Amino acid sequence: MAQKGDLLLQMKGVQKRFGGAIALRGTDLSIRAGEIHALLGENGAGKSTMLKILAGVHVNDGGTISLGDKPFITGSPEAAIAQGIAVIYQEPSLFLDLTLAENVFIGRQPMKGVAIDWAQAQVEAARLFAELGVPLDPKRQARGLSIADQQVVEIAKALSMNANIILMDEPTAALSASEVERLMTVMKSLKAANKAVIFVSHRLDEVFVISDYITVMRDGATVSENPVTGTDLQKVIKEMVGRELTELFPKTENKIGGVALEIKDLTNPAYFRNISFTVRHGEIVALAGLVGSGRSEVARAIFGIDKYTTGSVKVNGKDLAKGSPVAAMAEKIALVPEDRRQQGLFMIAGVNRNISMESFDRIKGKIFLNFKKERALTEIWREKLSIKYESQSNPVESLSGGNQQKTVLAKWLATDPDILIVDEPTRGIDVGTKAEVHKLINAAAGEGKAVLMISSELPEVLGMADRIIVMREGHKVAELSRSEATQEKVIAAATTGSKGA
Amino acid sequence: MNFLSRFKPSSREGSLGLILIVTIGITGIINPRFLTGDGTRDLFTSTAVVALLAIGMAPIIIMRHIDLSVASTVGLTAWFIADLCAKNPEFTWVQCFIIGPIIGMVVGVLNGLLVAGLRLPSLVVTLGTLYIVRGAVYVISNSVDYNAQEMPPSLLSLGQKVYFGVMPFTFLLVIFAMLVTAWFMKYRKAGRDCYAIGSNPHAADLVGIKVFRRTFLAFVFSGAMSGLAGVFYLMRFAQVDSTAFYGQELAVVAAAVIGGVTIAGGSGTTVGATIGALLVQTIQGGLAAIGVDAFWKSAINGLLLIVAIYADRTLARKSENALLAQRIKERA
Repeated sequence: MAQKGDLLLQMKGVQKRFGGAIALRGTDLSIRAGEIHALLGENGAGKSTMLKILAGVHVNDGGTISLGDKPFITGSPEAAIAQGIAVIYQEPSLFLDLTLAENVFIGRQPMKGVAIDWAQAQVEAARLFAELGVPLDPKRQARGLSIADQQVVEIAKALSMNANIILMDEPTAALSASEVERLMTVMKSLKAANKAVIFVSHRLDEVFVISDYITVMRDGATVSENPVTGTDLQKVIKEMVGRELTELFPKTENKIGGVALEIKDLTNPAYFRNISFTVRHGEIVALAGLVGSGRSEVARAIFGIDKYTTGSVKVNGKDLAKGSPVAAMAEKIALVPEDRRQQGLFMIAGVNRNISMESFDRIKGKIFLNFKKERALTEIWREKLSIKYESQSNPVESLSGGNQQKTVLAKWLATDPDILIVDEPTRGIDVGTKAEVHKLINAAAGEGKAVLMISSELPEVLGMADRIIVMREGHKVAELSRSEATQEKVIAAATTGSKGA
Repeated sequence: MNFLSRFKPSSREGSLGLILIVTIGITGIINPRFLTGDGTRDLFTSTAVVALLAIGMAPIIIMRHIDLSVASTVGLTAWFIADLCAKNPEFTWVQCFIIGPIIGMVVGVLNGLLVAGLRLPSLVVTLGTLYIVRGAVYVISNSVDYNAQEMPPSLLSLGQKVYFGVMPFTFLLVIFAMLVTAWFMKYRKAGRDCYAIGSNPHAADLVGIKVFRRTFLAFVFSGAMSGLAGVFYLMRFAQVDSTAFYGQELAVVAAAVIGGVTIAGGSGTTVGATIGALLVQTIQGGLAAIGVDAFWKSAINGLLLIVAIYADRTLARKSENALLAQRIKERA
């Protein structure tokens, strides 16, 4: 059993290249028992590559990795697991058809003679869930579990394997505020048990609350490694981007015009009830609330992906047909969905094909599509959004998360919408790109577009929005103007339903 | 009791069993002969081959794969064994029961290597082996047919053997195979790995499941079952030519899917697959009993398949909604 402060993992000058691209050019990292270690860096800094090397998915080309006084044996996920390293990926990789107990013990089920001892597995899983303070039912199917609960199952799995180093890749990206708090409690209990926790996050406020050490990476190399007391937010941001960020949320004052979108008593009993609000031209309205409070469902209903039972949606005073994205697009509404990989992009199609996807009218020749126009269109948006790719025909899946997000934005901005709905526009993208996306959304509002923005990040909501609508469990619980909104008020409304202090 | 409760079907198999009993009841009302000992025996005899193949197919579908070569393999084994028996009059049922599965396993190894080893889609690979194996039967058989007089009497009498007046020997073996496979799939790690692979192939890689080995062995198992089914074919029909069991592979897939083995992978049991095979056969028998034209039988089979998929999807959606509602309630 490791003592607190024992050196568990040391990486020195670790290098990794993929073909011609260098992912890691010399990374150092030291991890001690009983410590929570944050790994920061912009997208493409090499954090994921590093985690994957430790997970046994990739093998490093150079440098040394040692676990305690033994060298780390690379090569396969099984080897990593056997050496006490557990990885919790950004998207939990549970088996949805199987029970939670089985997910915890897959491949290592307790045996009684020649048969798996299911009763024992369930008791053990229940004990682990209780230890983590989240009493999930081990006999339940994993399907339908929230992302936060899925992570708890993954952590229970790591504990059951006696892992002493637990890697988490952006564990909080998809969590609501209360779920993040719960995860932090779990992380602290791991720390108390003298495990080492390495976690990647883009939410810097959390990083400073929970971690003991902060390592910053940039361009495949370690920039700094400090105890949390030896650094601060401004310094970390500076190290991450290599430049000073003047302002994270550059709010511009736009001219606000007439009502563009009017939602009245919108109800779909399964998800939301009696939702009413308006969005004016040139205005950014934020839809805040916990994940699962019905925000995305409202957006989907407006855009016509889902139906609603009662209520109405009016665009510039005219009723919008329900359940028809085609009608919504004809009224110049655009919806940039939350899950860009699944819903926003054709991952194996080129950047150009993705950007022009909804703008066929603009690239149409007399009979056939005019690919010269498509190239020109892509070039315009590459320049406007500074999307980085080698060639227009690169499949979108080869782009970094931030550039993927810009591509989805470009696809919808290219349709020149009047009403822009964006769902979690900066989820999982780095600080620098975030600021660019914010600027783009501001610019869209500046052109007189009505913007409805769904976001789980409070600073983003407070920094960007002219008005904030808070939802809780399918109900609208508060509407706050920019001047009256505070973090405390929004959190209070989202979690308790009261308008708070 | 405790031992029996291990095999207690989960709710889905339970409701399938109920549907089967109701269907048998209705058929029996239309044609009382169906409920007699003879009728029940006929049902089991005529279901044995497809049921055995469905048991072999279930793990493969659970792993998100499919094996379309099974019917051709039945044809190959049946013809090959008949040929061997004709040339070796000293052969008894014992040799048949050993050689059959081995021939089937050869096809299974080929499928397994192509699907698991080269990571080719099983739909295409087994469609290929479906034609290759059937083609091989055409070439080897050279239009020679075999009849009862060329087959070992011990094999044919085993095929006629019936216990308690209703349970043919072949179907007893089907039940045995069903229980062993069901136990294996539920209580052995390798069995659970199949569900994990079908549920989330990517995650299966990440937790270190031996995907190659499991996939390969599942195809070898299906091959072995197909080989045994070839022997069953001979026992039932006592004659074989190169077109034996031609085109029946989809009936096997249909039986498994109707029996609740989800085509998207990750769930289903061999108990369900067997009930599915019985259900298809009962409905066929029932349709014949009320004098429905044979041409309609295939159409009604197809309809049944679609109804089964629809029921499956509706149930899945219902349980998903229930889980969602539970989550909302838990939060409040």
